[in-house]
Amino acid sequence: MKSWKFMLIAVLLVLSQILGACAPAATPTEAAAPEPTEAPPEPTAVPPTTPPEPVDIELWAQATVTEAGAPPDDWIAYEVIREELNINLTYVIIPTGDDGEAFVNTAAAANELPDLFQVVKANNDSRGGLLSLVDLGLAAPVEDLMPLMPERAKLHYNDPLAIDLVTFDGQQYGLPEPPPLPKREGFVIRKDWLDKLELEVPTTPDELLAVAIAFTEQDPDGNGQNDTYGLGGFINGEGLGNRFDFIMGAWGVPGVWNFADPANFGLNVRSEKYPEALAFFKSLVDAKVIDPDWPTLKRDEFRARWKQGLFGIMWEDFAALTNKSNYEPFDTNFPDAEWIPVASPKGPGGDAYYGVYTGRGNIFAVSQSAVDEGKTEAIGRLLEWMATDGYYLMGFGEEGKNFIIDANGDISTEGIAEADAYTSPERQPFTQIRNQLIFYNSEQEIRARYPSYQTINGRTMEPMEFLQFFQSQPWTDGRGIQVILPPANAADINRFYSEGMLQFALGQKELNEETWAEYLAGLDGLGAAEWEASAKQALTDAGLLK
Amino acid sequence: MLHSRTRDAVFFQVGLAVFLTIILLIILIPFWRVIVTAFVPLEIYTREGVPFFLPPTQWTAEAFTQLLGHSLFPRAFFNSVVITLLGTAISLFLTVPLAYGLSTRNLPGRKLIMTLVLFTYLFSPGLIPVYLLITGMKLTNNYLAIILPPAVSVYNTLVMMSFFEGLPEDLKEAARLDGANELQVLWNVVLPLSKPILLTIGLFYAVYFWNEFFTPILYLKDADLLPLPVLLRNILISASFNEYVEYDAFSSSSLESLKAAGVLITMIPMFLVYPWIQRYFTKGTLVGGVKE
Repeated sequence: MKSWKFMLIAVLLVLSQILGACAPAATPTEAAAPEPTEAPPEPTAVPPTTPPEPVDIELWAQATVTEAGAPPDDWIAYEVIREELNINLTYVIIPTGDDGEAFVNTAAAANELPDLFQVVKANNDSRGGLLSLVDLGLAAPVEDLMPLMPERAKLHYNDPLAIDLVTFDGQQYGLPEPPPLPKREGFVIRKDWLDKLELEVPTTPDELLAVAIAFTEQDPDGNGQNDTYGLGGFINGEGLGNRFDFIMGAWGVPGVWNFADPANFGLNVRSEKYPEALAFFKSLVDAKVIDPDWPTLKRDEFRARWKQGLFGIMWEDFAALTNKSNYEPFDTNFPDAEWIPVASPKGPGGDAYYGVYTGRGNIFAVSQSAVDEGKTEAIGRLLEWMATDGYYLMGFGEEGKNFIIDANGDISTEGIAEADAYTSPERQPFTQIRNQLIFYNSEQEIRARYPSYQTINGRTMEPMEFLQFFQSQPWTDGRGIQVILPPANAADINRFYSEGMLQFALGQKELNEETWAEYLAGLDGLGAAEWEASAKQALTDAGLLK
Repeated sequence: MLHSRTRDAVFFQVGLAVFLTIILLIILIPFWRVIVTAFVPLEIYTREGVPFFLPPTQWTAEAFTQLLGHSLFPRAFFNSVVITLLGTAISLFLTVPLAYGLSTRNLPGRKLIMTLVLFTYLFSPGLIPVYLLITGMKLTNNYLAIILPPAVSVYNTLVMMSFFEGLPEDLKEAARLDGANELQVLWNVVLPLSKPILLTIGLFYAVYFWNEFFTPILYLKDADLLPLPVLLRNILISASFNEYVEYDAFSSSSLESLKAAGVLITMIPMFLVYPWIQRYFTKGTLVGGVKE
């Protein structure tokens, strides 16, 4: 009896000691000297003088590789930043998704936002998130910051539209980082299947249907089994999602909004061509040439299926398709297979759109409290350094130790020990903010990020060839979507819009003039017309409807 | 007549066995599926998905190697163990006296205290006030930020209180007549009889702290303090965003295998503990509901 009580007390005592030992020491932030309270400097391009006291800057940003964790306390960049910039940097990783939004929102609600932070919204509407913070007085104008980082402004903030989108009431509040590689997804087809069945690359929707039927019925993989489909896909977004936009684009109606015809801006479903496009899509479903699980598939399941050789036509991200890490399993299964990029099919009216380019990039903001504490100049110094002297260190590591720049000016790991190379898992914590604050899609950078390699049968895979092809296709400029705010009943409208669309596509509801009119009336009953009007007004106000 | 009864009993027994077998299969099949998914080799997964049966010779522990071999795993596991043990110990330490006090019928202000306790059960303070409290107490980057807010569960307190109320009052009264104060009654009489409820409620708390996910994200900004569920989630997120990880570094298992392996890894500690205290479990939760 006594022994277990003794054990309980002993365990409590031991645990209290463990807790004490595990509690971290005070961070530099906690032990910092009081901040200088001088007023923000006047805008000037002249490099500022280094203040005598180190400035504590807390930076919150998402990680490039979430599993790799944060850089260690002895990260050389911390040391360099302290010595060269007189800044004590603390980097905190914001979680991804809903948790990340809650993470930032909670700090905002408690008025405890860090000095410099990434605006995070789970639905990618970071502009809307920034606007909320501006309305609450928590995000500060950054116009004073821009002249402090001339090189960075030139490399990162050179898109006037992106600046406009983070400007409210004539004041710029956000730092719009360049979007991840734009127009990076595209329409691809199995060339080896085309060759085996002696088919040409489809150029129209009807030809696409014919090829899809052949892929489904004529055993393109030659295994003697009826186990392939023409087309694969999944729903990513509202309605049919963006993965079938290249089909809807043949009727000029890719995406939810009609950005292709600014004069008639509104929901694409208002276009008389939309039911025609939907009817063609339904014909693919009726012909059973699409992987039948497309309405419920998740992205990863979809990717597992093309690696299993289930279908020969799809819409895919260039890196997901061609990067060695993703392509290798497919290459192992089908060493003679080959995906090729294909131009958007041209519809009956001559329309051909690949998709909608929204151009969403990360937005960073400076907290009002940081400005009040006089940290503007230090933040500018830090950001400018990240785009100039600190670029390689933050993006790739130490030159000569983690990478070299070869004779062609390319970043390379030749002669670098495997574990030290900037590409190794061990090095990922040291370049965690590369996708958030460092990279700006230069050619050198892209060549380093997406290198070519040899497939099993010796073919050279060139990811950049796919990217360049996709980017050369006709995309609708949908960047204006960032100023369209969701209505109060967005969930209801989205559900009605998406479920109705799916019912038509799957044949659960007959698609004719009457049912289509009912569908549109149902949308209007939920306030779609008012939403379109407010969206048009917002775009007009932002000068995005021309 | 007798023959008919025997036949009915046999039918009942057979029917019961069939019903229970179906229930068992409903539970076992998904579990089996998770196990196979965790052990399926990448090449089989990418060729044919997850087969229902996989010959043992083809099983691979690659997903487990990838998760358990992660450089941050030992630290995250240690963090989870500390949070679980310390959280459970502190929670029991606080819950037991509260439950005992509330089970004492002549406690002055018992109704008021009970009302206050129930109030916190019905009305949550919300995320922001708790966040302000934690940050105000300078508990960010401290395990206590995860442990203290949920340290006393009203539900667990009521279950434990009910158990204490069910203990023979005569025993406590006898101890009081012998001169024991309430603390001595609790320590020397009540607790030794309360092993089932202590283990049961301890398990409830342990499962809660072991699985706790959101508050570590919110309050533990130092990556070295993050517990296992957060690390496993980060690994899965990275795997699902594999195409954006340009470098060939994180793809030796399928995402589904990693997910399944993560489920099994997080299950194992509770899976090991549960049989040990199972015999107390039913007793602990049910005895409290029966009053003499």
